[in-house]
Amino acid sequence: MIEQIEEVKRKLLEEIESVKDEKQLEEFRIKYLGRRGIIQTFFDQFKEIPRLEKPTVGKFLNDLKKFAQAIFEDKKREIESSKRKVKRLIDLTIPGRFKYTGRKHPLTQTLEEIEKIFVGMGFEVASGPEIEDDYHNFEALNIPPEHPARDMQDTFFIKENIILRTHTSPVQIRVMESKQPPVRIIAPGRVYRNEAISARSYCLFHQVEGLYVDEGVSFAELKGTLLSFAKQMFGSDVKLRFRPSFFPFTEPSAEVDVSCFICGGKGCRVCKYGGWLEILGCGMVDPNVFRFVGYDSEKYTGYAFGMGVERIAMLKYGIDDIRLFYENDFRFLDQF
Amino acid sequence: MKISHKWLKNYIELEAEPEEIKEKLTMLGLEVESVDYLGEKFKNFYVGEVLEVNKHPNADKLTVCKVQVGRDILQIICGAPNVAVGQKVPVALVGAVIPRNQHDPEGKPFVLTRAKIRGVESYGMICSEFELGLGDDKEGIMVLEPDAKVGQPLAEYFGLDDIVYDISITPNRPDCLSHIGIARELAVAFGLKLKKPKFKVVESDKRITDYASVEILDKLNCPRYAARVVLNVKVEPSPKWLQNYLQAVGLRPINNIVDITNFVLYEIGHPLHAFDYDKLSGHKIVVRCADDGEVFITLDGKARVLRKDTLMICDAEKPVAIAGVMGGANTEITDETKNVLIESAYFNPISIRRTSKYLGLSTDASYRFERGADPEAVIWAVNRAAQLMAEIAGGEVLQGIIDVYPVEIKPKIVSLRFSRLNSVIGFEISQDEVIKILEGLELEILNRDERSLTVKVPTFRVDIEREIDLIEEVARVYGYDRIPDKMQSVIHFSSEKIAVDFHKLVRERLIGAGFKEVVTNSMLDEDKASLFGENFVKVLNPLSREMSALRTSLIPSALDVVKHNFGYGVRNLKFFEIGKVFRYAFDEDEKPKYVDNYVEEERLLILMTGVAEPVSYDLKERVFDIYDLKGEVENLFRGVFLENYQFIYYSNNSEIAEIEIGVEIGGKYAGRLIKLEREFLNKFDVDADVYIAEIDFDLIRANSNFEKRHYVELPRFPGVFRDLAFVVDENVAVGEIEKAIKESAGEVLSSIRLFDIYRGERIGEGKKSVAFSLEILSKEKTLTDKEVNELIQKVVKYIEQKFGAKLRSY
Repeated sequence: MIEQIEEVKRKLLEEIESVKDEKQLEEFRIKYLGRRGIIQTFFDQFKEIPRLEKPTVGKFLNDLKKFAQAIFEDKKREIESSKRKVKRLIDLTIPGRFKYTGRKHPLTQTLEEIEKIFVGMGFEVASGPEIEDDYHNFEALNIPPEHPARDMQDTFFIKENIILRTHTSPVQIRVMESKQPPVRIIAPGRVYRNEAISARSYCLFHQVEGLYVDEGVSFAELKGTLLSFAKQMFGSDVKLRFRPSFFPFTEPSAEVDVSCFICGGKGCRVCKYGGWLEILGCGMVDPNVFRFVGYDSEKYTGYAFGMGVERIAMLKYGIDDIRLFYENDFRFLDQF
Repeated sequence: MKISHKWLKNYIELEAEPEEIKEKLTMLGLEVESVDYLGEKFKNFYVGEVLEVNKHPNADKLTVCKVQVGRDILQIICGAPNVAVGQKVPVALVGAVIPRNQHDPEGKPFVLTRAKIRGVESYGMICSEFELGLGDDKEGIMVLEPDAKVGQPLAEYFGLDDIVYDISITPNRPDCLSHIGIARELAVAFGLKLKKPKFKVVESDKRITDYASVEILDKLNCPRYAARVVLNVKVEPSPKWLQNYLQAVGLRPINNIVDITNFVLYEIGHPLHAFDYDKLSGHKIVVRCADDGEVFITLDGKARVLRKDTLMICDAEKPVAIAGVMGGANTEITDETKNVLIESAYFNPISIRRTSKYLGLSTDASYRFERGADPEAVIWAVNRAAQLMAEIAGGEVLQGIIDVYPVEIKPKIVSLRFSRLNSVIGFEISQDEVIKILEGLELEILNRDERSLTVKVPTFRVDIEREIDLIEEVARVYGYDRIPDKMQSVIHFSSEKIAVDFHKLVRERLIGAGFKEVVTNSMLDEDKASLFGENFVKVLNPLSREMSALRTSLIPSALDVVKHNFGYGVRNLKFFEIGKVFRYAFDEDEKPKYVDNYVEEERLLILMTGVAEPVSYDLKERVFDIYDLKGEVENLFRGVFLENYQFIYYSNNSEIAEIEIGVEIGGKYAGRLIKLEREFLNKFDVDADVYIAEIDFDLIRANSNFEKRHYVELPRFPGVFRDLAFVVDENVAVGEIEKAIKESAGEVLSSIRLFDIYRGERIGEGKKSVAFSLEILSKEKTLTDKEVNELIQKVVKYIEQKFGAKLRSY
C-alpha cells in the first residue's frame, strides 16, 4: 500500500501542474480530496491493513493527505491572486489627494533668515512705532530741521512733527533712551518713503536696523560683523566692499557692497557688470546721537547699520520688480 | 553731479584711465554712478569732403555724391537740396548708429547699413543737424567749417570726445560740487598736486566805488556780499571750448556772460549772478528780506510769491533776485546788455534752504548755498568771472571789489587724539600717515605732539567741525578696505527670559493649514479707511488719493489681493496677513501709545474664497463656508493654546457682513468672522463669496497659554463612548444643546462631538435630528455600565425638558 501511496503522490504532483483554473482545481479536489476521492479510499481500506503495518501506513497516509491539501491550497491562492490581478488592478499613478500649500511670504522668509544670523551673534530684537515724531526720526539722529540730509528721505507727514518713519533708526533712539550700554539690538520693521512707485521703489518697504554700543566697539569690528553676516546670508565665498558715505547719525559712515553672488564678481546683468551689489549702510554712531540719549561718548562707542529686506530678497531670489512683494500674486508666492 | 574729464585735467595731471578714476572716487566716498564716453555716440562718424555731385539716374530729388573720408572715396546717395562740391560735411559710415531718424515719427535711432537706393549703391550717409542730434534742422545736410580736417573723427571736430563722470555727492560735501573740488580729492588719492588756475584781473582806472554800492540789511542771512562791475561787454554766444565744457556737464549755453558765471560755478563751486548793471536802479545793491505776499518774477518767467523770511537782493527801488536761488527777469542779461554787475556772495544755508523748499525751486546756486558755500571763495570767484568777461566778452573791469563782510567767518580749529582715532577705527594708523592725509586735504597742522594734533580747517570744508570728523577723513582717505575685519566680539550674556516668537508660531500653524502669507500696503483710500473707523489717520501729503490714509482694517487690502488673483484666474484662495492697523484715540485708551495719541495695533486676517479642497477626481466639489472659517480659527486657537475665547452670535450683522460671528478673547472683543456682503464686495470688484476673520493679534498672544504648557497626568482608564440623537425644533441652536449636555453631564464628560444633523420626512417638518458622540471618563475608576446609563438618562431627561426634545436612539 505504501507503494500505492507513493504512486498517488507522484501523480498528484503531475496533475496539479496542469490545473489552470477553478474548475480544474475543483476536479482535482474531488478526485483526490473528495469524500469518494482516492485518499479517502485509502483510509477506507486502512482497516484491512495488518495491525503491525498500521502505524507506518497510517503515517504515510496522513502525510499524503496533508501534502495533497497543501498543494491544493497553494494552487487555490495562486489562481485567486492571478484572477484578482486581472479584475482589479490598482492604478498607483492616480494623483494623491492634494491640500492647499501654505507659504511664508518671501519677505518674512528673508527677514527670519537675517534675524536668525544676528540673534546668533548675540543681538536682541527690538521694535518701535511706524507713526513717529520728528524728534526720534530726525532730530535725535542728528538731522536738524532745515538740513539738506532731510532730502535724502522723502517723508510722509501726518501732522506737524508727526510723520511715518522713514527708517528704522528711530528704534535706536528709543532703545538707548530706555537703557544704558551695553546695547546690542536689531530692529526690523516697516518704513515709508514718499517716492513715486516703480519697479525699483515702493512707497513703503522693510528695514532691519542694527545697533551695538559698548566700550571699545570699533569700525574694524563693524566690518567683521557685517562680513560674517554676509557670508552666512549669501555664501562663505562672498566679499564685502566698504565705501565711504554719509549718514547724519553715523561717522565714519559707509555703504556696503557684497560681491555679486550670482556671477561671483565677474560681472552679470544683476550686478550691472560691476561685480558688486549694494546691500546696506552703516557706520560708527555719531557722538551727537549719544548726546541726545545721554550716553557718555568718551566712554562708549558704537556702530549701527541698516539694510532693506526687499533689496536683499530681490538679490537673493533674482526678483526684478519690488511691487511683486505687495501684489501677493499666488503664482509669485508659490515660488518661495 | 557731472564732471568732465577734459575740464578736470586743467587742475590736475591725470594719467589714470577713466575706470581707475571711477574706482578711486567711489572708494573716497564720491560714488561714480556712470562714466559716459561722449565720443561713443559719434563712433563711425567722420569729417568728409564732397568731391562730386551727380544726378541720380532713377530719382529726381536724389544725388549720387563722391565723398572723401580720409584716404577713401565713398559713393553716397544724398537727398538734401543743399549738398555741393567742396563742402566739408559730417559723414556716417556703415555701422554707425544715427542718433535720430528723420523719417521716423519718434526719431528713433537706427544702424546705418550698406544700401541700394533706386538701383545705386550707397556706402554711407551725409547727416543733417537733426540726424546728429545736434539741432532741429532737418531741411538739409549740416555743413562744417571750411577748415575742418578731412578724415577727422566727428566727435573730435565737435569737441565731443570728452568723458563725463556722473558723481553722487553726499549732502555733507558741497566742496566736491565743482571740478576743483573733485580734482583736490583725486590729488590726495593719486598723490598728485592740485593746480588751481592762476590769473590776473586787468582793471581799468575807473573805481568801482564811483559806479556801485552794496548794503547788507540782513547780516545774519547774508554774511558776505562782494561785487565787481564790468563795462562794455559784448554779449554773444560763448566760444566753442566754453560751450563744450558746459554741454559736457549738462548745461545749456546761453550767452557768454551767463556761461562765464556757470563756468566759474562748475570750476570752483561758488555760485555767481550777473545783473544788467544799467537796470539796477541807483546802481545799488541792498540785501534784505521780502515783504509777506510780495510777488516777484524770476528769470524763468514765473511769478513767485515771497514771504517775510525770503532773503532778497534789491536795488534802490525793487527786488532784483531771490538771494542764492534765482535772479529776476527785470535785471537779466540780454543781448542788449552793455554793463554787468557780478554778484559773489555767501548766504546762510538755512535761509536759502527754507526759501528753495517753500518755493519748490532748486537751482545749481541754491543747491550749493544750502549745503554750505565757501565764504573764502567769494573773492576768487568774482575775480575769475571778471577776468573771463574781460577776455571773452571784451569787457572793461572796474578797479576794485566791493566786499561787504561785516562779521568774518573764521576757519575752525579742531584737535585729534591719536588714541581716539585708533580706538574708533580699531586699528592703528601711523601718525605720519595721518598727517600726510590731513595735509593732502589742505588742513593746516597748527600743533602736534605725541598724543594729538591740532588743525586749521579750510572754510570750504563745512563738514569738519569735530574730532570725529577728522577721524572720518583719515579713515576715508586711508581706505576702508585697508582696515582689517575684526571677526570677534565681546558678548554680554543676557539675563532676560527669551520670549517665544509668537508671530512665527502663528505663521507656521497657518502655513501648515494651507494658508499663504501676504504682505500688503498699509496706506489706502480714505473712503475705504473710513468704512472701518472714523478716527482713521490721514496722510497730509499722500502719493495719491488711493493712499491718503492709514489702514484701519486689513480687509480692504486683502480684497485687493483677491481681486488681483481673480484677474489671473486664480480663484481658490486661502491666505493670511499679520499687520498693523492705525487710529487716533480721542479718549482715554489703555493701549500703549508711543507718539501723541496714535494707536498701532496688530491684527491677524484670515481669508478664504473658492473651493474648500483642491479639485480631486473622487471628491465632490464644495465651496468654502462659514464653518470652514470657524474651524480654521478654532484650530489655530487650539494650536497656540488659546482657550479662553468665546464666539458671539449676533442677531443682526454689521453692514459689510452677510453672516457675522464675534470673537471674545479673555472677555474682550477681539474681532469677528464674517461672510462679506455682496454689495460691499462689489466695491472691490470681487464677484465671489469671501470669508474673512480679522482678530486682534495682541489679544491672541496675551491669552495664549503656549508659554504655560505643562504636563497633566494621563487618565488610566479608557473612556466609554455613547451616541445620542435628539429630535428638536428647527430653531433650537446646536450650540445650545451642546452647552446643555455639558452642563448636565458634568466633568465626567471628557469630550463631545457633533456627528450628524438630519432633516427629513421620518422626523417631521420643522424638526431636525442632532446627534452627538459623548465620551464618558472618570479619573478615579472604570465606570460601570450602570453608572454610565444613569448619567446618560440624566442628560436625556435634561435635554428633553429644556428643549422639548425627543430622544431618537442611542
